[in-house]
Order: sequence, then structure tokens, then C-alpha cells
Amino acid sequence: AHADDEKKYRWRLAETWGPNFPIFGDTTKNMAKMVKEMSNGRLTIRIDSSNKHKSALGIFDFVKSGQYQMGHSASYYWKGKNFNTMFFTTVPFGMIASEQHAWFYYGGGMELMKKVYDQYGILSYPGGNTGNQMGGWFKKEINSIEDLKGLKMRIPGFAGEVLAKLGAKPTNIPSGELYTALERNTIDALEWVGPSLDLRMGFHKIAPYYYTGWHEPGTELQFMVNEKAYNSLPKDLQKILTVAMKAAAYDMYAQSMHASGVNLATLKKDYPNVKMRSFPKSVMNAIKKTNDELLTEFAAKDPMTAEILKSLNDYKHQVRAWTNLSDRAYLDNFDSK
Amino acid sequence: MNTSLKIIGKIIDALGNLCSLLMVLMIANVFYDVIMRYFFNDVSIGMQELEWHLFAAMFMFGIAYTLKEDAHVRVDIFYDAMSAKKQAVINIFGSLFFALPITLLILYFSYDYTFEAYQMGEGSADPGGLPHRWIVRSVIPVSSIFLVLAIIHVLLSNIQVLTNEDVSNPPSEEGAA
Amino acid sequence: MTGIVLFAIALICLFLGYSVAFTFAGVSLIVGVAVLGVDLFAFMPYRIMAIMENTILMAVPMFIFMGIVLQKTGLAERLLESSAKLFGGIAGGVAVSTIIVGALLAASTGVVGASVVAMGVISLPVMLKNNYHQPTAAGVICASGTLGQIIPPSIILIILGDVMGVPVGDLFRAAVIPGMLLVIFYTVYILILGKIKPELMPPLVVTESKRELLVQALKDIVPPLVLILSVLGSIFAGIATPTESSAIGAVGAIVLSLLYGSFSFAKMHEVSKETVKVTSMVFAVLIGATAFSMVFSYSGSEYLIEDFFMELSGGKWTFIILAMLAILILGFFIDFIEIAFLVVPILLPVAIALDINLVWFAILISMNLQTSFLTPPFGFSLFYLKGVAPKWMKTTTIYKGVIPFILMQIMVLLLVILFPEYLIIS
Ligand code: NA
Ligand code: NA
Repeated sequence: AHADDEKKYRWRLAETWGPNFPIFGDTTKNMAKMVKEMSNGRLTIRIDSSNKHKSALGIFDFVKSGQYQMGHSASYYWKGKNFNTMFFTTVPFGMIASEQHAWFYYGGGMELMKKVYDQYGILSYPGGNTGNQMGGWFKKEINSIEDLKGLKMRIPGFAGEVLAKLGAKPTNIPSGELYTALERNTIDALEWVGPSLDLRMGFHKIAPYYYTGWHEPGTELQFMVNEKAYNSLPKDLQKILTVAMKAAAYDMYAQSMHASGVNLATLKKDYPNVKMRSFPKSVMNAIKKTNDELLTEFAAKDPMTAEILKSLNDYKHQVRAWTNLSDRAYLDNFDSK
Repeated sequence: MNTSLKIIGKIIDALGNLCSLLMVLMIANVFYDVIMRYFFNDVSIGMQELEWHLFAAMFMFGIAYTLKEDAHVRVDIFYDAMSAKKQAVINIFGSLFFALPITLLILYFSYDYTFEAYQMGEGSADPGGLPHRWIVRSVIPVSSIFLVLAIIHVLLSNIQVLTNEDVSNPPSEEGAA
Repeated sequence: MTGIVLFAIALICLFLGYSVAFTFAGVSLIVGVAVLGVDLFAFMPYRIMAIMENTILMAVPMFIFMGIVLQKTGLAERLLESSAKLFGGIAGGVAVSTIIVGALLAASTGVVGASVVAMGVISLPVMLKNNYHQPTAAGVICASGTLGQIIPPSIILIILGDVMGVPVGDLFRAAVIPGMLLVIFYTVYILILGKIKPELMPPLVVTESKRELLVQALKDIVPPLVLILSVLGSIFAGIATPTESSAIGAVGAIVLSLLYGSFSFAKMHEVSKETVKVTSMVFAVLIGATAFSMVFSYSGSEYLIEDFFMELSGGKWTFIILAMLAILILGFFIDFIEIAFLVVPILLPVAIALDINLVWFAILISMNLQTSFLTPPFGFSLFYLKGVAPKWMKTTTIYKGVIPFILMQIMVLLLVILFPEYLIIS
């Protein structure tokens, strides 16, 4: 064989998640395993969880600098560095997972993401979808916009900003302390993911209300690859890597759906007192209005933001008509609740 | 040499006082946040972030002060039994070959790191969080500069011990209070 | 292989006596540049930033601050004096009060040096004046002063919680019974020894009435006890995070010093400077260890260690025994901070792969590290005591004195290894 074919590449991936974090962590392990097998061991990827690299939200910097060739995280965590990164995870009142996948691969999403990440020497890829996320665990019922005033809630990022405008008090609590914080009323509410990952946190034991989502309709995680490292790979390994990322990401979507279904059944059976609610229309309308105002504000400041928002909105408008005619109509007509 | 030693010593002592102040501010900050949350039902992500900004500055600048005060832990089983001159040789060797290179390297690399945050205009990603991440990042290069000063202080005072005939006082006692 | 060589060189260089933090960083730089190139160190700012942002470790300076306030304002001293008088009437009474005060100080801070020094200054002269058996007196002080390692809040547990990714509150809770067991073992040992050989620790001659003593003792013991219970209680009840309660403890200690009339701004300035020094010392070691572990892991050495342990027969138990032995032996030579920052991260992936309960493993490690404070030749508690003991007291006297206590620690360690289901509150 050619000498170059025999060269072994040992890569490292830093992930935001802790060791043994289910689903998210499974995705990176899956990807690494596929790469190793498909490349016949020529490309191996070691995964460092947050307990190892010590910086859950340092992944962007790690990959940018080349300290790690790869990272697994979520694009909206980089909002503080570049506001436009947050659109590639999910947008409040935006598209659901299937629609968003279509946007990424056929609606110009990948191109826009490349445009945002190019300046950092980072290649960004979809990294697995959680599906629609739940609006969170609440200790009291939300009946009007008044109930949001002074509500201490763990809800990071842009959605937190929207709620803050409506009088809520977003707060930062390390994930390990969330349960205690909610139990002891340090916070009144929190959002995590959905049944797939919420159950292991135990929130259902201490918060009676489980609200449906609005802020993360299709959270897509993110694989990052250092561009220089990527270019140093032979063509076949590059292809193996991108295919493995795509396959692992798709697998995560399936796994999330599965785990959510299983865990929701457990939740309903073992904790029948947990009340599943949706926010009243008046509350939802107020949140949506604030959300749109904020986005318009940001779009006025940066043409790139405006371009991404336009693409997202136009695409949603088009694809939603089909979702309504297909999935929504089907569910409305035939699904017995 | 004596005057420069004194001037550097004064600068690092002032830095030590700044660190003590940061320490107290940090306690007050965390205590305030706890009280506000439990008794006044109020939280602020900006104040929460300020906690670790103070913490970081306190211990990063404190490293230089601690070096000057000779309070960094040593494995002193042999060291303690040595003459003051031999100790001075060890300290000069350690300063030149262990402490100085890594500090200069961190200074060199952290400049880009800080500048990058400045260029990106990086701030907190959370609502109400602190802007201007480059300020806290600049703690790394700035504290490295002070650390270089402290290393020079150790070097000079130990050279003094070597060249001095009177070796009754170990170098570390100098300036400590 | 690079990592092993690096470890060996660093260990040897440590004996030169130059600062541990810079020795580790400097040796790692030299070896790292030689083997992997200088670019590797471009990552240092990122690593340092990760340490700066670590809010879990923020509890470290505040618990240190709290302990130093109690010490510098004389509160620890009053505690010792009045309890020594209270128990002094029985054989071994001063020793028992030393153990109890050691436990109380341990529960208020995580700093070992301060407790050993305080008790060495205050109870050692009392015991020596009363013709206590010298080794026993020295041993009691070293062992009780070291309880701060295991009895929460403890700096090492905070650091281990961070290194191992386990909630600090869980570790604190899990350490309660093992810590109390040690106190009980020490106390029972002294009481039995006092019964069998009263000449080793004769009772004090006490002039005050029992009533007077009790009132004074209550005055001195109750307020710090309230502080300790509220700090630990708030963590265990889940009202506050360890970081928050460390701030409450620091403010509470200042309030106490105001109540006793021993507060002054000059003292607070001194306390604060002292805290800065201890904290910066710890974090400098952490940064040095970061440089070390970077070179260690980038040269692929961690996989070597992992493979070695994974291929051992006997699985979990072989690993536990080898890990405990390695930490015990390294503890003869290097400090607990270096072990926590350097050795534990190497062992951690193996422990995870072997499905070992990390809370339990962390308690085993911290018990083991506690023993390393007492084991000659490099027991930190031994040094601290030697520093304040009368010049004529021989090092060998102290060595001899700690042996029974080391044995008791190993016994409790074995109990925790064998019966975690009864001894670890989860
Ligand atoms: Na303690
Ligand atoms: Na030892």
C-alpha cells in the first residue's frame, strides 16, 4: 500500500458534557467508533469529557486554537462571541427538527453556518437533535404574564433574555446544583431538555408543573472540526469523518425520540401527579411579541443577522405549510390522544 | 541593586494589599448574592459573574505576592538543612530554569488570547451577564508581568545572599511582615 | 513513556526544595518542549482561564479565610483552653479535649496547618507540664490537627469533587461518618490508655469549680459550634451550595470575632493577606499541575496507565488496592494537593471504566491522603508540630507518637473500604 494510506491519525475531541452523560455523550462515542471502524483504525478520536478538559464552555476556543481537533457542543453557547452563532442550534418559535434538517441540508443553512464560522477556522456540522424541548419544570402555575414577573428561572441564552424583558429573573446555576436549587426555592422554575434527559435529574419529584416548549423547538447540537486539522486528513478520511458525524447526529435524533417516549411513559405511570401544561395563549403571545421585537432589534444592528433571520423565516414559512398539511393534519385527524 | 530590590518589593507589596481587598470584596459579593436571593428574591447574573472575576484576579495576582513572601509550598526536607548560600543557589536556579521560562511563555501566549476576546467583543452569553470578557482575560498577561517582577525580586535578593559575607539571615525573611 | 520520565524527573527535582508549583511547571515545560514542541503551551491561557472560571473552587479561599479568622482572633485558643480545663480532671483529659477541639476546628475549616500549630502552641505545653508521655502528646496533636482533611468542610474534598466531577455536597455528607469514626477511635484509645497506664497522662489539678468551668466552656464552645453547625447544616440541608455557605461562614466568623471583642481591621487585613497567600499557593500548584498533566496526556501516557490497569487481573479490587498503595507511598514524599491534581486524574478514567462509585473512591483517597500528613518522613503535620514544639523535642519522639494514630487511620480506612453501605451517607 501507499505510505500515506498507512499513516495513523490520533485526534482528540472535547465535549461540553460530563463523562457518562447519556444521549449527548453517546453521540460522540458513536461517531468515534464509526470513524475508527470505517477507517480501519487509521483515524482514532479520543473523547475528553468536561471533567477532563475542565471547561464545558471552552470548546469553541479549544477547537479554534487547535488544542482539540474536534469539539461537540451547541452553537448557541457561543452567542457571547458572535451573536449569529445562536441561530444554528434552535430559535424560539422557529422550526421543528425535521424542518430544520431540511433547512440545513437543502435550504441554505449549512452555507450560512459556514459563513459565520469561516472567520474562526472552524468547520461546524449538525451534531444531533434533541427534538422539541419542554418549556420547563415550574413550582407554580403560570396563568398570566403577571406570573412571570420576578420568576427566578434557570433559562440560559436568548430565551432567558426574552423572559427577562417580561420581568422574569434568569439565573445561572451549575447543573449539579439544579435539583437542590429548585427544591429549596432558590429558583422557581428551570428548563432542561425533555423527558429524555430530565428524568435522571429528578425534577419531577419536586416541581408539580411540566410545561410544553416554545424556546427550543428543535435543538441541534454541534460538531466542530478545526479547519487546518481537517485539511491535513487525506480525502477518504475526510469523507469518513463527515459521514460518521452525520450518521451519529441522525442517530441521536432517533435516540432522543425513543428515550423521550419511554421516559414519558414512566413519568406518567410513576408520577401521575405531575401536571403537563401549556402556557395560556395570552402568555405565549406576549413572549412571542417580545421575542420578535428583540430579534428585529438585533437584525437592525448586523446585516449577517438579518440575512440569517430572513433565511430562517422564509424557509419556515414555506416548509410549515407542508408540515401543516401532512403531519399536523394527520395527527389532528387520526391520532387518539 | 538595593534600590531596585526595594522598589520591586514595594510594588509587589501593594499588589498583595490589592489582593487582600479583592478577597474581602469577593466574600462580600457572594454573601450579598446569597442574601439578595434568599431574603429579597432577587438575582442578577452580572453579580454572579462578578464573583469569579474577583476570585480569579485575587489568586492570579496573589501568585506574585506569594512568591515574594516565600509562601509557595516546597518539599523542604533537604532544603531546610542547607546553608543560606546553598538555598540561594537553589532559588536562583529555580527562578531561572523553572519559574521564568513558563511565566514568559504564558505572558507571550496569553496576549493573543486576550486580544482575541477584545477583537470579537466577547461578553457573557447569558441575560444580564458582564460584557467585555477581555478584561478578565487580561488578568493572565498582567499577572504574568507582576510574576516576572516577583521572580526578579527573588533573583536579586538571593544574589545578594550569595555575594554577602553575612549569611545569618535567609533571603526569604527579607521584606516579610 | 514520556509521562513516566516526566513524573520521575519532576519528583527528583522537587527534592531540590524549590517551589512545588514552579518546579512542576518548569520541568513540564522543558520536557514538553523537548518532546512535543513549544506550541503545546499556547494552550496554557485556555487552561488557566478554565481554572479562573471554576466557581466550585471559589469555596477554597473562603473556607480558608474562615479558619484563619477563628485562629487569628484567638477564638480557637479560647476553645482549647476552656475545654482543656473542663476535661483536665480525668487521666488523659487534656488529650481528649485536644481531640474534641481538633474535631471542632476541623469542622470549621479545611486547613490542617493552622489546627496543628494552634494546638501545638496551646495544649502541648500544658501536657508536657503535666508530665504527659511525650510521644503520646505529640501524636494526639498531630492526629487531631489533621482531622480537617476528612471532616467537612475540607479543602481536599472540594478539590476532589472538582477533579472527579462529583458534587462537593455529596462528598461532605459521605465524609461525616468516617470523620466521626476517627474521632471516636482516637478518644476511646486515649481513654483506655489512660485507664491502663494513668502515669502516661496524669490528670490536671483544677482549681475552679465545676460550675465555673462549665459556664466558661459553654461561653467559648457554643458560639463557634453554632457557626459550624449553620455552615455545615446549610450545605447538608441543601439551603446553600458549598460556595455560598463558605461565604456565610467567613462573614459568620467575622461576626463572632466582633461578639468576643477581638475584631480589628488590622487583624482582618492580616487574615486576608494570609488567605491570599494560602489560596495562591494552592492555585499555583494547580496551574503547575495543569502544565504537567497537559504534557502527560498529550504524550499519550494516560492511555499507558489506563491500559496497564485495565489489563490487570482482579479488576476493581486490584485497582483499588494498587491505587491506595500508590497514593500512600507517594504521600510519603509529596503533598496532598499534588496528588489530587496529578495522580487522581490519572486514576479517574480507570475508576470510571471499572464502574467504581466515585463518592466512595473520593472518600478513600482523602482518608488515605490524611494518613500521608502523618507518615514520616514528609508528614506535613509532623513538620508543623516540629515547628512549634520545644527545641529539645526530638523528631523521632513525634514519629513514635503518631504510629498508633496511623494504625487507627488505616483501620478506619479498611472499614470504609469493606463496609461502605453502613459508613457512607449518600
Ligand atoms: Na474540615
Ligand atoms: Na507523608
